[in-house]
Amino acid sequence: MSTAIIGATGVSKRFGAVDALRDVDLEMGHQAVGLLGANGAGKSTLMRVILGLIRPDAGSIEVLGLDASRRPWELRRRLGYMPEHDCLPLGMTAADFVVHMAQVRGLPHRSAVLRASQVLFQVGLDEERSRLIRTFSVGMRQRTNLAQAIVHSPDLVILDEPTNGLDPAGRDEMLHLVRRLSHELDIAVLMSSHVLEDIARTCDGVVLLRDGQVALTRPIEQRERDGSGALQVRVSGDVGAFRAALHRRGLRVTDGDEGGLLVAADDEGGMHDAVRDGAAEAEVGLYELRPAGPSLEDTLIEAME
Amino acid sequence: MSDARVHDVRFTRFEGEVEGEAGAVLSLARWSAFRSMGAHRSWKVKLVPIALILIAFAPAIVVLGLRALFSAQVDINTERALPYSDYGGMIGIVILLFAAVTTPELLCPDRRDRVLTLYFSTALTRSQYVFGKVLAGVVPLLVVTLLPVWFLYLGNVVFAVHPVGYVRNHGLDLARITAGGITVALFFGLAGLAIASLTSRRAWAVGGYLAFIIIPTIIGGSLGEGLKQPHLRLLGFSVAPIHTVESLYPNFDGQGVSGLAWGADSVAVMVVSLAVLIWRYRAVEV
Repeated sequence: MSTAIIGATGVSKRFGAVDALRDVDLEMGHQAVGLLGANGAGKSTLMRVILGLIRPDAGSIEVLGLDASRRPWELRRRLGYMPEHDCLPLGMTAADFVVHMAQVRGLPHRSAVLRASQVLFQVGLDEERSRLIRTFSVGMRQRTNLAQAIVHSPDLVILDEPTNGLDPAGRDEMLHLVRRLSHELDIAVLMSSHVLEDIARTCDGVVLLRDGQVALTRPIEQRERDGSGALQVRVSGDVGAFRAALHRRGLRVTDGDEGGLLVAADDEGGMHDAVRDGAAEAEVGLYELRPAGPSLEDTLIEAME
Repeated sequence: MSDARVHDVRFTRFEGEVEGEAGAVLSLARWSAFRSMGAHRSWKVKLVPIALILIAFAPAIVVLGLRALFSAQVDINTERALPYSDYGGMIGIVILLFAAVTTPELLCPDRRDRVLTLYFSTALTRSQYVFGKVLAGVVPLLVVTLLPVWFLYLGNVVFAVHPVGYVRNHGLDLARITAGGITVALFFGLAGLAIASLTSRRAWAVGGYLAFIIIPTIIGGSLGEGLKQPHLRLLGFSVAPIHTVESLYPNFDGQGVSGLAWGADSVAVMVVSLAVLIWRYRAVEV
């Protein structure tokens, strides 16, 4: 049995003439993984297969060590799901609804009330808990949706486009909450989005889907991207003075992409500090500092082409 | 100095025992039933179900009350004044309206607000959802189909000269009352749920339900009378379960149709309603 949170082998699913998923192989070992892809790439279908809501035509998928096709109900006890579309009962209060969902997920009444109180506090709806959902803004509804998905302490929560329809402030708060799930509350996260920044801010790994196939799987923070350990640095101001300052600190500097500098050193440990100090000495503005090689965005764009 | 303390409400993992599938279904049924009766909602929503429940109890309360107040002056035979077999017929319209008010509320909001996606992403199966909703539809209906007659029976026991003797002599009545109450609740509950499962709009569900129950009754009654074909009366869905219950008692008058036929008619409607429900929820895409 695989130790991965999600392990899929050769998963295919067809709806009529459309191949929604084609021979998908996937292994999710990270605590938070982003599922990236354009609309229609197969993200929602893959999530529904993971939830056991639809059976794949071919292949197998194990989630938390359970076969999603054969033991979907057993699996769903350990999963939380936040769908993309609006799916909350508008005539109920947030507190009533979250308590209700906790009980439907098997929690006894007292525990359900306590847990609902905790999760509503965690998602920032403590004050509004007694208001009808129909009076909520989009952001508050999304938070209620997130609260119902985590009220039973799932091992894995599946979030389908959680930032959809949110304004910039609401989006920021939602991404912060999602990050907390995996990093503070110890809940594994599988989040879909078509916005790279959302995935980069919240996840440890990314799976890129294109036309129902996995186009790329990689960690978000991939150090030493080109294997050299060098840094790509970009500054505003006197680049010559900055070069000289780096040389004085024993760093090797060559020209990088698009006017940037590639900085390398024998001892990679103090390299970031040396670049910072060099920028301060040369009085230049440091506006890019990252491992050399193609960025996450570059890699994803290349994979999508 | 105050003894008040500030507690830090932090997120902790739930480590307790979870209830099984039965717990989830019962929870769904309980929440749905209470909400259909207006619990956790405004007083306006509560008003109609509560009023209908009071009206359903009214005949029993009036008869038993008169007997309690005036038994010394007048010899009131409550069993003759209000036979158990006639109670369902007397409050038939109340039962019909109660089902029309409560059953759409069980299914339509879930479809309209797309909450089914959330339910079916839990361990709840579609059959369990349907079972939970049937339970939530039928149990509140028992409050108007069964409890008033039980109340009348209890009153008769209390006012009987020999209460133990009354229970001994009328034990079969208690079984008839119980079977009758459950049959009527199942009939109107299942029919109401089946109609409600066809639409996400409450108004359509209420209208459709009343039309399904009342229009065939009018057509069947008119044709049965005009063509002298008593069996056309079996289209009278509003009276089918009532006649089925009446046929459990002696001296049944089925207006030319046997009690067995009314029973088969009621069972057929219930089976078809259940089939519609199962079909509707098996086909739901989430």
